[in-house]
Amino acid sequence: MYTKNTTITNDTGLHARPASDFVRLATQYDSKIYIGKAENDVKLDAKSIVMILALALKKGTVVEISADGSDEKQAVDALIGLIESGFPEDD
Amino acid sequence: METYKGYPASRGVAIGKAMLYHPYTPDLSSRTSGAAAASRLAAYDAAKEQAGRELENIQANMKVESPSKAAIFAAHIDILNDVVMDGEVRSLLKNEQLVPSSAVAEVFTRYADILSNVDDSLIQERASDILDVRNRLMRILEGHLEQSLADLSEPRIVIANDLLPSDTASMNRSMVMAIVCEVGGSTSHTAIIARSYGIPALLGLNGAMNKVADGKEVIVDSCEGILITGADDALTDHYIRKLDKYRKQTAIIMRYADNMPVTTDGVRIEVGANIVSANDDLPVIAARADSVGLFRTEFLFMGRKDLPSEEEQVEAYRRVLSAFGEKAVVLRTLDIGGDKECESLHLPQEENPFLGNRALRFCFSRQDIFRIQLRAAYRASTAGNLWLMLPMVSSLGDIKRAKAIIADVLTELDQEGKKYCHNTKFGVMIEIPAIAILADQVAKEVDFASIGSNDLCQYTLAVDRMNPAVTDYYQSYHPAMFRLMRYVIEQFHTQGKPIGICGELGGEPEAAAALMGLGIRKLSVGPESLPVIKKLICTHSIRQMEQDARHIADFSFADDIFSYLSSQYQMDR
Repeated sequence: MYTKNTTITNDTGLHARPASDFVRLATQYDSKIYIGKAENDVKLDAKSIVMILALALKKGTVVEISADGSDEKQAVDALIGLIESGFPEDD
Repeated sequence: METYKGYPASRGVAIGKAMLYHPYTPDLSSRTSGAAAASRLAAYDAAKEQAGRELENIQANMKVESPSKAAIFAAHIDILNDVVMDGEVRSLLKNEQLVPSSAVAEVFTRYADILSNVDDSLIQERASDILDVRNRLMRILEGHLEQSLADLSEPRIVIANDLLPSDTASMNRSMVMAIVCEVGGSTSHTAIIARSYGIPALLGLNGAMNKVADGKEVIVDSCEGILITGADDALTDHYIRKLDKYRKQTAIIMRYADNMPVTTDGVRIEVGANIVSANDDLPVIAARADSVGLFRTEFLFMGRKDLPSEEEQVEAYRRVLSAFGEKAVVLRTLDIGGDKECESLHLPQEENPFLGNRALRFCFSRQDIFRIQLRAAYRASTAGNLWLMLPMVSSLGDIKRAKAIIADVLTELDQEGKKYCHNTKFGVMIEIPAIAILADQVAKEVDFASIGSNDLCQYTLAVDRMNPAVTDYYQSYHPAMFRLMRYVIEQFHTQGKPIGICGELGGEPEAAAALMGLGIRKLSVGPESLPVIKKLICTHSIRQMEQDARHIADFSFADDIFSYLSSQYQMDR
């Protein structure tokens, strides 16, 4: 199990396209991946867009990402990196 | 060849292939089947695949015309492939004898409910995306053809029983050549949207769905109010020429679109636009209109199960206010009643909805809803130039009561430290005869008023404007109407308070001319009418309009008034 925290920085939070990009990245890894708010124990499947949306992760929220499996470290680091990039607009 | 009459809700001419629109409604009941799990799972998989293809297709088509709408379908693809929901559907199919469509219904509906209870209005909106994908899967599983106005890839004339706000909001406008509905009238939602999109529309055409064959060419003439099926070559040619002429005339009128409305004898008229918050061409309207004479807010409440939150309303109001900058935006509080479908409000079922607990009366009986709207409006007022207007006022008692509630709401905002604009103007609609007759007293109690001619006519002439059996009695050019409006205008002028008109009559050049002749200097019309009304103003004099208003003052028949005015104000439309 590998875990890391970070803070959501983009204005609309983990929502719409950012959530989609997040899930797309998460599903590339074999490990079971979980996401939740650092402040409580609710951890949901990070490969599910509906779960991400249900968490309603707004700007400023401290989020915890954990993974369990052969590529757990790469998965968590990549996802944390994506959040920290702030999901820049590409067009 | 057959000709059918309908109400011309939005002017224009169209010749094209008909598309019969049967929106699919899913059967959400729990149905079982004796079939083995393997076959039910296979059916689900196949449906998922097809849904995926449909969505990829739509997304590809949309990317060019509307990238923001394309993004919605990208979200749908994500939802379709959601691992958690997919896992649960599979589980259900393995462990229970549910029909695939019911398994999908169960899981998707549950998750949609979860999202609609999340404390974030943007996430709540995603709940309807889950329902859309659910419906798509269920539709495929139940073997219905895809029919969506959103992903029309070829121009069509849409024939339907009725169109919902969700249909008109998502439809691919550039592909809808015309709309024909079995129900609806001039002030129905579809009419308003069709006019604002510039799409010809014929409404109230009974049995249209049975009269037109899907895919066959039809002609819609919504200048005259007729639908033609099976036209021969000669008639089709005639309409091709009519369409061409209509386009040319429209182009001429459009030249006035950006002009400043000043009469030939130098009188500046304020020409505003009637809008809904769904209008996504606000910048264009803001450039062409002097103000918003009517910002309808009921659209925020329609087509949804839940009520719009205060924050959602603040955002919607701010968006409109800031698009218009310094220009006045007259926001009308919730104006809806039992005649309309509105799930979120649980409107009373009444014998006489137009005389019942509607609009302001409904707001008085549901102050929880009213106060939230007032709070949202005042909070948004800092974003622009808000004028607040109440509908359905029938006495000075109503005005007094509303003012007390507003004062209380403002005290609340002060206590919470929430900012609002202190000089926000307060006004009323003049649509109930009682209040028109008391215009002298009303003018003292308000900052402004606007004549709601549609309802004023209905109530003054005792005619249900939605009842096709009495359309002939709904005479908007009735001499009593002009007499009443003249009194209202004069009283407001005496008190030095602005009086305008936001009903449909103001968008008809013949009537607008007479009203300006009676003293009106503020008209607010549907955005599609801005050019023609500006043309009217720029090509005529107030002196002429005053003369004509005096000329019709003693006429006894609506037909005579209309004939005279239309002969004087030929606008070549």
